[in-house]
Amino acid sequence: MSIRLLNPNAEVLNKSAALHMNINAAKGLQDVLKTNLGPKGTIKMLVGGAGDIKLTKDGNTLLKEMQIQNPTAIMIARTAVAQDDTSGDGTTSTVLFIGELMKQSERCIDEGTHPRFLVDGFDIAKRATLEFLEKFKTPVVMGEVPDKEILKMVARTTLRTKLYEALADQLTDIVVNAVLCIRKPDEPIDLFMVEIMHMRHKFDVDTRLVEGLVLDHGSRHPDMKRRAENCYILTCNVSLEYEKSEINAGFFYSNAEQREKMVAAERRQVDERVKKIIDLKNKVCSGNDKNFVVINQKGIDPPSLDLLARAGIIALRRAKRRNMERLVLACGGEAVDSVDDLTEDCLGWAGLVHEHVLGEEKYTFVENVKNPRSCTILIKGPNDHTIAQIKDAVRDGLRSVKNTIEDEAVVLGAGSFEVAARKYLMDSVKKTVHGRAQLGVEAFAEALLVIPKTLAENSGLDTQDVIVALKGEHDRGNVVGLNQHTGEPIDPHMEGIFDNYSVKRQIINSGPVIASQLLLVDEVIRAGRNMRKPS
Amino acid sequence: MREIVTIQVGDYANYIGSHFWNFQDELLGLAEDPGADPVFKNGLLDMDVFYRAGETQQGIFTYCPRMISIGSRGSLGSLSTSGTLYGNIPSADSMAIATWTGNAARSVAEPYKKNLFLQSLSEEDHDDSGIPASDSKEGDSSHRRERDKDRIECLENGVNSWTDYSKVQYHPKTLYELKGSWADVNKFDDYGIGRDVIAEGSHAEEMNERLRFFIEECDHIQGIQFIVDDSGGFSSVAVEYLENIADEYANTPVLLYNVRDPVSHALPINQRGLITRALHDAVSFSKLASFSKLMVPVGLPSLRSNLSPLLHVKDEKLFYSSAIYAAAIHSISVPFRLEPLRPSTNSTYASGALEIGEIVHLLAGQARQNPVTILDLAMPAPSFTEENNRGAILKYLNPLTPEIGEDDEDPYAVESVTVHGALHSGCNRALISQVKNSICAEYEGRSIKLKFLHLSMFLCPLPIPLPFPSIFTSRVGRHGELLEHEFEGGEPKGSLDVESVPIAARLRSSKAILPFIETRYMNLHKYGLARGSRGDELLRDWGFGREEVEDMGENMSRMLLALDPLSEEASSDSD
Ligand SMILES: Nc1ncnc2c1ncn2[C@@H]1O[C@H](COP(=O)(O)OP(=O)(O)OP(=O)(O)O)[C@@H](O)[C@H]1O
Ligand SMILES: [Mg+2]
Repeated sequence: MSIRLLNPNAEVLNKSAALHMNINAAKGLQDVLKTNLGPKGTIKMLVGGAGDIKLTKDGNTLLKEMQIQNPTAIMIARTAVAQDDTSGDGTTSTVLFIGELMKQSERCIDEGTHPRFLVDGFDIAKRATLEFLEKFKTPVVMGEVPDKEILKMVARTTLRTKLYEALADQLTDIVVNAVLCIRKPDEPIDLFMVEIMHMRHKFDVDTRLVEGLVLDHGSRHPDMKRRAENCYILTCNVSLEYEKSEINAGFFYSNAEQREKMVAAERRQVDERVKKIIDLKNKVCSGNDKNFVVINQKGIDPPSLDLLARAGIIALRRAKRRNMERLVLACGGEAVDSVDDLTEDCLGWAGLVHEHVLGEEKYTFVENVKNPRSCTILIKGPNDHTIAQIKDAVRDGLRSVKNTIEDEAVVLGAGSFEVAARKYLMDSVKKTVHGRAQLGVEAFAEALLVIPKTLAENSGLDTQDVIVALKGEHDRGNVVGLNQHTGEPIDPHMEGIFDNYSVKRQIINSGPVIASQLLLVDEVIRAGRNMRKPS
Repeated sequence: MREIVTIQVGDYANYIGSHFWNFQDELLGLAEDPGADPVFKNGLLDMDVFYRAGETQQGIFTYCPRMISIGSRGSLGSLSTSGTLYGNIPSADSMAIATWTGNAARSVAEPYKKNLFLQSLSEEDHDDSGIPASDSKEGDSSHRRERDKDRIECLENGVNSWTDYSKVQYHPKTLYELKGSWADVNKFDDYGIGRDVIAEGSHAEEMNERLRFFIEECDHIQGIQFIVDDSGGFSSVAVEYLENIADEYANTPVLLYNVRDPVSHALPINQRGLITRALHDAVSFSKLASFSKLMVPVGLPSLRSNLSPLLHVKDEKLFYSSAIYAAAIHSISVPFRLEPLRPSTNSTYASGALEIGEIVHLLAGQARQNPVTILDLAMPAPSFTEENNRGAILKYLNPLTPEIGEDDEDPYAVESVTVHGALHSGCNRALISQVKNSICAEYEGRSIKLKFLHLSMFLCPLPIPLPFPSIFTSRVGRHGELLEHEFEGGEPKGSLDVESVPIAARLRSSKAILPFIETRYMNLHKYGLARGSRGDELLRDWGFGREEVEDMGENMSRMLLALDPLSEEASSDSD
């Protein structure tokens, strides 16, 4: 601070140095993520010093694995990760876009343009691009029954950027069906109602949709059945274990006999709760071949398990809290907090409940349910890092379907939007802008091309050829993207390459905001304090 | 079964935990070892309380700590998060990529170098005969001693991670790294930073899932042993965890040790740093206390001078100080694993079984509501010979809890003392009844009687495993007895010369804790609540509104009031 006052030139110097530092950091991050983009991108395997393996093809995971030190890079990374948090996709594009905005700015600044003009131009261009997006997007009508084909196309586009084609295509159906299963018309989609479960299985990569629920634990009694058909399901949150009450723990004041009595009384209370469950079982299952399954969020101790087992009941304890909700959505009935007023209406239903054991790991499948409103995606993979990568991809796929339904629109992909938006900015917007802010609009427009350019580069194509061809087609009024195999222009619509509207929107929105902050260095320094939480 | 799940949060908590599990591992080994002292083989310590039996997919049986360890990225050293037990060893085929047919880039970090000790461990593992390599060279004991010396030396000189001296194999669900996105590990030093990290991503969910995994297995969980390094951001991570526990497992008691290493006591350099530290301490104490029924602050600014003339602890080495605290925590946990006998019958091996819930109730809710308890340790415990029968043990017990006052006469004090492996004379073990009579006599001799005293005794001393710092002075004998002759300037002794030591540890609920709470209370007032205070903004940054801070203040003043009803005027003045 004091130096600043003494030497006014130092500020200018520092400012320009800081600016170039920012530009370099943005470019550096861009370089790291560039190869990730698109269906021809590079997957990355990171092996840590202790042998831990991470496998990733998406920008989000890669950024989180990187040990970024540079504050500017951290700021960009946070923006990109926030992008993923809100819309579930587009991290890589965000980083590339910011990097390219900085690169384009650098050229102008080196030629003497003050960053202020660029920032003004960015702002104009951003608003114009968002308006253009509204015209460009492809509306999707979401009636009672959504258009499954379009949902599949969006999901497939996303998944094929993360997994090889056959695996991506298999998952496409799974994620679309999963979202349609949990969707309730006119309500926001709660993806938590899709459980994602995994099993480690040597030499096996396989994923399937279970209409119903898979729990990662089993019954804890040797006499309980491992497989049962036609099951009533009681979902409850009731303690079925003996717990020392406060009074009881104060044994220091009471004599042994008193204590025994108290213990017995407490035990009786637990037994009575168990008996109420057994009574209901006897009521609904007598004289038929139906079974009865208790899934409890609280504990069930061995004496209670004994009683239940003797009554022919299958019981699971300590179910995940979230599974209480899922179970009810999958099987029907209700989740009860008390066993006092149990009736048949409380019970859900599953055609099949069975247990699968892998070493010490147990899985309980609650399947063949009527009208499920919750389901499970079961991932099998040979090791943890493969499973983790598939899981990431599944999440991306689910988000893309949800976004499509909620956006009621999609955007043509394969770089077509970016080329079209660039043309719009150059042809129609630039001329309406006065003065040097034009340079900002131009820089913005050029920066958009980073997406098709990188897609071409990752496909091993000549970037310039591809861009010239694409621009040419657009000039002739054809909205085209690039064919990742040949580099020729293609109609993304025909090929079914669609991106999410909200993802695109957010990239266009956040990219220039961050770039502007980085260009106006003073603000960066001030923004530093709150960098921990970007809004 | 009365299972305990252990949770360790933060680096220093894991340092302590590492020693703790080494002790357990040693006990398990000694129980099987035909050549070991029979005192380790009475089978009265139920190890299943802390351990779980499992099975890998290949059908191999395992026996692992029922434990969750949370640390920051990179804190695991050469240990992989998934451990080695369950067949996750990186191999050629795990480098194959099954999900992508396009381009792939592999970036392989240089493997962490394992130290000599860890190398020798993995050699033993790979030796299929199950006999440690050195045993096969029967009679070559000098060779073996040399080798052990080297192994110990490498630990004396360079422990960089708690895993560097751990001989325990962990379950794949045990180790969890908190990856703060790009947060500087060295700056993970206040409540707010921890809060930010835990809010990101799915950390909380993953931590809670792991806990559920271990608890689901328990037939009848007696409680949770929770160790948190509360000197920095891990406090808020622990608070998040404790909040979930209170919510999900309301009836499961938690015994909370909030620990600090001596290095963390170093003073911050500037005023701002001082205020941050003072507020961190106040907030983290208040939040942790609000979610636990019994908390035990542990961690002296120096163990070199304050602890015992028989110990030689290097404060700057975490490997050293953590061993002391681990010994104390081990001793406190002994009664949780003893078979509950009928109170009337007195075993010759053990007495005074107590569950976590009982000790919590005894200390925190018996005489008055005071959740903050003092931990004392005598290591090695004095022998119970006739001459120094009286007054010895109390004199030898030294507090491991910082910032406490004199234990002046507190008629409401409640204490729980555990003595194990006590000696009578020389290397002869004292009888349980001798220990009991001696201690009771000692307490009876005090002018002000306690409200309540619980006594647990066990014949089996603390075994000293090979990976253990050389902390004993030359006066300590092979079994922790006091040697007659003092060797001037003798080398400090470690695990090669000391096999086991008798220990006495004590938890006490006493007025002596007042200064500890008072400091935090005053600091919260001075820096966080008083008009125009400088920490106002900081607390907001950490996510606390004015009201919440006021609540914290009130909670602390309630604690003070419970301990010292006369303090009422004093504390209401300071507003
Ligand atoms: N078949 C295809 N041909 C050409 N381009 C495609 C094709 N499929 C997807 N793309 C393009 O790839 C881009 C998305 O790539 P990718 O999913 O790797 O990155 P991202 O969404 O920006 O970031 P991330 O998924 O890592 O968070 C979009 O621009 C999309 O239009
Ligand atoms: Mg994507």
